[in-house]
Amino acid sequence: MTVQLEDVTVHFGRTCALEGLNLTVAAGETVALLGPSGSGKSTALKAVAGFVRPSRGRIRIAGVDVTDVPPAKRGIGVVVQQYALFPHLRVADNVAFGLRAARRPKAEVTRRVAEMLDMVGMSTYARRFPRELSGGQQQRVAIARALAIRPPVLLLDDPLAALDAQLRADMLDELQKLRREVPDVAIVYVTHDQAEALALADRIAVMRAARLVDIAPSADLYAAPPSAFTASFLGGANLLPVEVSADEVRVAGHPLAGVRAKEGNNLLCIRPHAVRLGSGGLPARLLAAQWRGASSRLTCAIDGLPDVRVHIDVPAGGPLPEVGAQVSMVLPPEACSLVPAGTR
Amino acid sequence: MFAIVLAVLVLAPFVVVGAAAFSGSWNGVFPSDPTTSHLRDALSGDELASLTVSLQTALLGGLLAVVFGTWAALASRTASAPLVRFTDALYHLPIAVPSVVVGLGLLVAFSRPPLLLNGTKWIVVIAHLVLMVAFTYGTVAAALQRTDDAYADVAASLGASPARVLWQVRLPMLRPAIVSAASLSVALSMGEVGATIMVYPASWRTLPVSVFALTDRGQTFVAAAESLVLLAVTVVLVVTLDRLRGRAVER
Repeated sequence: MTVQLEDVTVHFGRTCALEGLNLTVAAGETVALLGPSGSGKSTALKAVAGFVRPSRGRIRIAGVDVTDVPPAKRGIGVVVQQYALFPHLRVADNVAFGLRAARRPKAEVTRRVAEMLDMVGMSTYARRFPRELSGGQQQRVAIARALAIRPPVLLLDDPLAALDAQLRADMLDELQKLRREVPDVAIVYVTHDQAEALALADRIAVMRAARLVDIAPSADLYAAPPSAFTASFLGGANLLPVEVSADEVRVAGHPLAGVRAKEGNNLLCIRPHAVRLGSGGLPARLLAAQWRGASSRLTCAIDGLPDVRVHIDVPAGGPLPEVGAQVSMVLPPEACSLVPAGTR
Repeated sequence: MFAIVLAVLVLAPFVVVGAAAFSGSWNGVFPSDPTTSHLRDALSGDELASLTVSLQTALLGGLLAVVFGTWAALASRTASAPLVRFTDALYHLPIAVPSVVVGLGLLVAFSRPPLLLNGTKWIVVIAHLVLMVAFTYGTVAAALQRTDDAYADVAASLGASPARVLWQVRLPMLRPAIVSAASLSVALSMGEVGATIMVYPASWRTLPVSVFALTDRGQTFVAAAESLVLLAVTVVLVVTLDRLRGRAVER
């Protein structure tokens, strides 16, 4: 276990920013902390970095309790949201900062800086100042600077949030490549974007209102979300109220063959791309259709459930029903699961 | 219309001082008997000494004000809120209080052992320091408020000691504000009269005080010449310091 958080709680004044977080990240593993703003994900990262002090709980790195150790002695690589490149230092001096703080020999500093800049593809910019770089370039330098000190742990605080959509997609590729360059580093990746979390993380920790909601391998969390919040936050699943009687699950009075009933107050969870239009399904009305290039997103309301919006993603190219038309909605049982309603 | 009023009020005194500095007599509407003797007087003997005294006071007082102001601004980041409010008020007090009162206060406070500074140049330097520190503190504190703590946090996470964070990250990033503060306090110090006139010893008479004394004795032309010197030196100092800041911003 490289990083271990045990019941970590952080208060800012009277507000509780993080409540009893338990989390372990193994060497070589990427864990994404995913949640809306104010969910405590950045606070958790700051606690690991040592920038904020937990009011309760312990943090261990490689088995050593670092809860009371200042950030300078933790040896963790940190990339903050706006990169925080030192504006008065050239790119190479930014990358060399940690090595010089550790008083490494000059030759080693030069070699290591060249190696890191090469890794992030910024060798030709070594003599530039940060403000002469684009957002994506600054981001690469920030990563090179953090990794130069060979940290066992790398913390990334929403590193793509400041970039525009196209650049974000490119940087996501770069980050995937980078992951392979540092196979032993434990990475904690804070993000509010579920696509980034799915693309990069081995496991995803979904957070909400200062608490950890669910944590599981990304594929499991997506395929079988343990809670309604996770189902909708990760992948925007449809959540439909169901009636359960005996062994039968029904939506708006229509039985769903093949869906197993469960105890408790549950919702039916199904991804927008799994819903199909075809004969023999639930009668519904098409309210809106949005063309999104490769697919179209349809918004429907099932007859009898006028307040619930159901999203359907259908591949582009096929004929679409008119808005306002009556459609038949098929919910394939293998794509349906029941999740505890909880508090959405 | 307003521009004309402004020109008369702001520019006219400068023009008149400049003209008076070079005239032998001024009995009609325009000055007459052009001469450079006043300027020569202003740059010799006692009057030249006044200039070097002013320069030393401004540079020393300004430097100390920058050091104390920056120090206070940095310290106020981590201090408790009530303490910060108190120091804030304390530092700004010299702005609100008339400078003559500040001078009198210093005179009374430092005229008796163990702190007998009256009669030395240090009481003048301290008076200037007290008056300027409000401006340097304000300038640096405002700049500090605009800088993100993330820079210091990241530097620390890279293994930098608090001293290294201060000298290699915080202070270089504050450099433009520090240079601004320095040039402001030097300029104000070069022109300070109110407090200086209360505390200055005969051996340490600043240029503005000399101007005041000369005018008081009716030597208006020499006073005008000396004002011109004061003006020129201050402009050169401020422009030089501004250049420094320009370079800091560029980097």
